[in-house]
Amino acid sequence: MPPQRSGVAVTETEAESATATSAQEVRPRSKLASTGEVIGLYAICLFGALAIAAALVEFASDKGSWTTVYTVILDGAVRKPGRWGLTLGVAAPILLVALGTTVSGRAGLVNIGQEGQLVIGAAFTAYVGTRIGGPGPLALVISLAMGVVGGAIWAGIAGALRFWRNVPEVLTTLLMGTVAANLVGWGLRHRSLLLAPPEGRANRNQVSQPFAADRHIPRVTLFGNDFPISILLAILLAIVVWLVLGRTVVGFRLRMLGRNARTAQRAGVDQKRYGIGAMLVSGGFAGLAGGVMLAGGDFGPYQLVADFGAGIGFAGLLAALVARQRALVIIFVAFLFAGLRTGSGFLRATGVSARIADVVQGTLVLAMLLPPAILYLRARRRAIAATSSRT
Amino acid sequence: MTSTHDDHVGGERSSPPAVELIGITKHFGQIVACDRVNLTLRRGQIHGVLGENGAGKSTLMKVLIGLVLPDAGEVRLHGRTVQITDPVNASAHGIAMVHQHFSLVEALTVWENVALGDVGRLDHRHIRRRVGEISEHYGLHINPDDRIADLPAGMRQRVEIIKCLRRDPEVLVFDEPTSVLSPSESEFLFAALRRVVTEGGKAVALVSHKLPEILSVTDEVTIMRDGRVVQSGSTGGTHASALAKAMVGRSVVLRREHAAFGVIETDGDQPVPEVAAPRRPAATEPALRLIDLSAIGRDGRVLLGGLTLDVYPGEIVGVAGVEDNGQRTLGDVLSSLANIESGQVLVNGVEVATGKAGAMAKAGIAVIPEDRHDSGCVLDFTVAENLFIADPDRVSRRGLINMATMRAKATQLIEQFSINCTGPNAPMWSLSGGNQQRVVMARELSHSPKVLVAAQPTHGLDVGAIEYMSDQLRNAAVAGVGVLLISTELEEILDLSDRIVVIYNGRIIGEMPKSEVDIARLGLLMGGATSDATTTIGGSGD
Repeated sequence: MPPQRSGVAVTETEAESATATSAQEVRPRSKLASTGEVIGLYAICLFGALAIAAALVEFASDKGSWTTVYTVILDGAVRKPGRWGLTLGVAAPILLVALGTTVSGRAGLVNIGQEGQLVIGAAFTAYVGTRIGGPGPLALVISLAMGVVGGAIWAGIAGALRFWRNVPEVLTTLLMGTVAANLVGWGLRHRSLLLAPPEGRANRNQVSQPFAADRHIPRVTLFGNDFPISILLAILLAIVVWLVLGRTVVGFRLRMLGRNARTAQRAGVDQKRYGIGAMLVSGGFAGLAGGVMLAGGDFGPYQLVADFGAGIGFAGLLAALVARQRALVIIFVAFLFAGLRTGSGFLRATGVSARIADVVQGTLVLAMLLPPAILYLRARRRAIAATSSRT
Repeated sequence: MTSTHDDHVGGERSSPPAVELIGITKHFGQIVACDRVNLTLRRGQIHGVLGENGAGKSTLMKVLIGLVLPDAGEVRLHGRTVQITDPVNASAHGIAMVHQHFSLVEALTVWENVALGDVGRLDHRHIRRRVGEISEHYGLHINPDDRIADLPAGMRQRVEIIKCLRRDPEVLVFDEPTSVLSPSESEFLFAALRRVVTEGGKAVALVSHKLPEILSVTDEVTIMRDGRVVQSGSTGGTHASALAKAMVGRSVVLRREHAAFGVIETDGDQPVPEVAAPRRPAATEPALRLIDLSAIGRDGRVLLGGLTLDVYPGEIVGVAGVEDNGQRTLGDVLSSLANIESGQVLVNGVEVATGKAGAMAKAGIAVIPEDRHDSGCVLDFTVAENLFIADPDRVSRRGLINMATMRAKATQLIEQFSINCTGPNAPMWSLSGGNQQRVVMARELSHSPKVLVAAQPTHGLDVGAIEYMSDQLRNAAVAGVGVLLISTELEEILDLSDRIVVIYNGRIIGEMPKSEVDIARLGLLMGGATSDATTTIGGSGD
């Protein structure tokens, strides 16, 4: 990068300097790549990853052969009876997390602590959902709303630190994730907090009281597949996020803040308000994802356990990155990631060792991340070439 | 180097020239950047390449140093046809380029930067000695052990020059070398360039769109327009308005250039609204009042030291001054980008909150910022979006943006301000600098502002665009807007302002109406010497 113009002292308001670095980055310009190219790129990367995965299974595992790997993953994700319903259930929280990531990402903020926000959201949902009375559906909605609040608070702390004390949100969100995990673990050891009464938990130590049956998220059965209706809610929210970002004044200003904070400041976008707002929404989505996981039934028997997040927060973050923060694309990427998860879980069941199955899944996710990275680098290179040829 | 080439210009006619570009053609998609361009660079000569932004001069130079491969055409060095495939290859052929933007590592010293990219063992003693030798030989006054971060722009450029000269190239290309330099630094640069040419016997190509520069420095000049060479020949036989005419393809008002040459304006060439004198009735209230503004930087430096200034509706007030005397802070305060310690900003008599997002824009202060990429536009947004950044409510109902209305209104503005783009949905970054500036201008003026702040509005623009901007500023003033023109280019100030004030160390230290401009006094004021007894602290020469 060319150095900035030399020796010129610039006055800065507090808020402006906070975003000065992000404004100076070279941004990718997403043009140039045709749809065909993009699909081709994904196909190549996916094929490469499958080949590596196959080789791993062949050489590093005593059971299973590479020919089965492809079919097993496909079977596990969609083909076998009941499997795509399972995939949809897993996709819902991934999609929700990814939508939140998109909102903060578009505002120029890097929230990478979704896992923690999700766990806090699940804990809030568990606490409220097992304690309040009233009709089941109402209690469910209230406890999910509390999950939203929990996640929003957790991300909001990072947002507040960022805009009042200038602490980078990349660090705080990630570190707060560790705090969240330990805090919930500690809560699961205290009866007054999350721990289930002794008669309900058998020989397990750190579990919360399971949700009453009338407070489960309703499930739909279709062609022998059953899935929670939360996936429909998630898809609906994806459309809402898409509309808000693309078609409303609020979304317009949010995107402006993310793209050029100084122009936004001059144009009347209050950085603190919009920035912290975006963090709250982002955390809220992760919290909702946690609540949905708890009350949905696809992640254990409707109760909170240690390590409840199960990497869904990170999967959602990745999904948002892979979809390059486009709300509608995220729907498909979320399904894909969910499919990889259920598929490789099935792979484990065929006798391939758990570690190898994890490596296979990781390789496939990596393959999904490569094309955007390649496109980013190429767009950046062309953008640099374009700007220098214009002068 | 062959000794046969070392004689005078006369002898060089017989020997083949250092560089011949013959019939160079380059397409980018449908755009023809270079169309059968010929260019000849001779040893011992500075060859000016003149043209508006987008005329193809940069592309041509990139062909020469191997950054762009031509679609057709031939490159000859000393009469032999060569293929230049990449910059390393060009360097091996003895061609080097000093780019407009420096590529120096600030944390490293001069000699470390020079050695950057070397392979093998680093012989720092040798490199330092070599840097010293080159510096001394061409009078560049560079100390090999200085850190880049401590050097001003002019010195940094000299380091870039040393980086090139160290490999003893035969051909040197300078791309807009003075765009970041002060006038005295530019003078120094050209003196050094002349030494490089006469003593070193190098061939130099100087890419520029500044006419005075081309006229005073070059031996030969090639003028490009729309990818073609429109004129080529010896600089001695031409003059400013002829060059300008060839460059833009029509005659332009050359007031700026005349001013630059010290030719005192003869006022009578163009219908410039010369109603200037009675434009400011004493009774009206100022459109903009700045009262005792003070601002202090993080490092404790005084950025604004009690700046007081009134701008009346319908006048253009030019703020003259040497760079870094508070102009930037003044612009930032009026853009809600910086806050002040004390003082007041009043628009039509109403106080405006400082440092509050959007407050200044809302109060009716339009700004054409010094760096439009920094606070004037969003490059990743479309042209339409950029036109409604400050006021999306004009194209929305109940918080929902009406895309059709937005496009329609944008199309209207695009036409009204003749913005050259593929339509309202064109991404902002795809526009040329001049057209981006027009987008900013269109947006700011379409809000019917009370005050227009223009900070370095013509910086980096070509002659045609400068003329357009100047007209817009004049028209705004005629329409009753109070215009505050902040510029470090004195010619621009002299050309446009009805009243000139001088900023020094963050405050206004002198004022004169246009009719009583005294260049000598202006120069003194800019150097910090007030005409009254209260002469200020020692002049910082440059």
